[in-house]
Amino acid sequence: MNATKLAKSSAVGTAVLKRTFKQKFLTPILIGVCLLLLTLENISFRPIKLLKSLVNDAITYSAFIINLPANFTVDTTKTLIEFFNFNIHQENKILKDQVNKLISEKNELLFFKNENDNLKRILGIRNQGEYAALLVKVIKEDTSEFGKFFSITKGSSENLELGQAVVRNNVYLGRISEVNLLSSKVMIVTDAGSRIPIVIPSKGVNAILKGDGYSNAELLFLPPSASLDNNDQIYTSGTDGIIKEGLYVGKVIVKEDKNKKKKYSVDLGFKEHQLNYVSVLKLKR
Amino acid sequence: MRNFFEKTKFYIPHLLILLVIANDSLLINTWIAPGPIINLKYILLFYFCFYQPDRISVIYLFILGLIFDSLQITPLGMTSLCFIVVSKLIYFLKKKRTRTNFQNEFISFVIVLVAVQILTLIIFYYFSKSSPEYSLLIINITLTLALYPLFRYILQFFYRYQT
Repeated sequence: MNATKLAKSSAVGTAVLKRTFKQKFLTPILIGVCLLLLTLENISFRPIKLLKSLVNDAITYSAFIINLPANFTVDTTKTLIEFFNFNIHQENKILKDQVNKLISEKNELLFFKNENDNLKRILGIRNQGEYAALLVKVIKEDTSEFGKFFSITKGSSENLELGQAVVRNNVYLGRISEVNLLSSKVMIVTDAGSRIPIVIPSKGVNAILKGDGYSNAELLFLPPSASLDNNDQIYTSGTDGIIKEGLYVGKVIVKEDKNKKKKYSVDLGFKEHQLNYVSVLKLKR
Repeated sequence: MRNFFEKTKFYIPHLLILLVIANDSLLINTWIAPGPIINLKYILLFYFCFYQPDRISVIYLFILGLIFDSLQITPLGMTSLCFIVVSKLIYFLKKKRTRTNFQNEFISFVIVLVAVQILTLIIFYYFSKSSPEYSLLIINITLTLALYPLFRYILQFFYRYQT
């Protein structure tokens, strides 16, 4: 009688055989499943896409629930720090002054906007399509060596599409890079794969803004003759036809090296890890 | 009661790896450093699999990989494959070495980390439209290797294995 037959002759032996079989074949089976999933990645078959979208939604919301205790701790710490802020009256006074200043600036801007619209009408220049803002909640931020993203609570059920711009207080944050049924992923402007067309109106210069993968971005394809100054404002140029033009991105920081050659970096108009609610800009049809 | 504590202690690494994967960016990669500088998931996985290869099952690693891929928008199945390869590679390296001292352990970690990142690059090349930033990967590997002894030292307070 061989070893297999001998093992099968008792209940314990059968169990051991089953376990050995399981251990022997489980790894190749799982590796096969992984390879199958990877192959399906490039196939645009609707049921598979829908299934993947549902799996992504489930995982995103589960991760949100898992992170609730950690988020609660961070939020409570912030609230406590704000609660014990004894300079609140002083801050209130400063903020009131700033609000008054902003109101007067807004009125001035409205005047210029109307004037600009009139001039465009006279010259026959048509505005880009109208955009509608959809307010969404940020579920969680993800940073790894493969990308910088944050997840939002709306997906294809709200007609979100790939490439749509995501802003906060009219400051450009990133664009939608994955749309699921009930959630979406936004690629932050600092992601190493992010590239957006920008314009520096004060110098009439167009360029591309590329994320550095950490918490900043750099200017690419600047004209050789371009000479930028500190605090030059950067806006989206909208030349790709997807991202709305005129969204504030940040300002230029100029540094000079030993040979007096100018080096440009960008001070982005937002701070990461402080995003609770953002808006998605959808083109009105 | 003692049995309960032992069971809890056994499953804490599983929970720890799940938390790290569900929030890869929670501590080190966002609050302490400005970007993805360290691969905590591979440090934890290596530490627990090196001393107790059967501690974390292959199915659990497969599910963890799917969660990570879904959250990080990497090709679905990539991290699962990497995790399974890591666990099997660790098992193979452990079998090859008769003595397990820190030197051998660290060399094994270097081999595992470099091999898994090469596998990641191959998968990215064939199955993804985007490509990872190579400078980021190099920084990530270097700092993960440099900080491994520190994390190992911390983990040894809670999980000390016979070498």
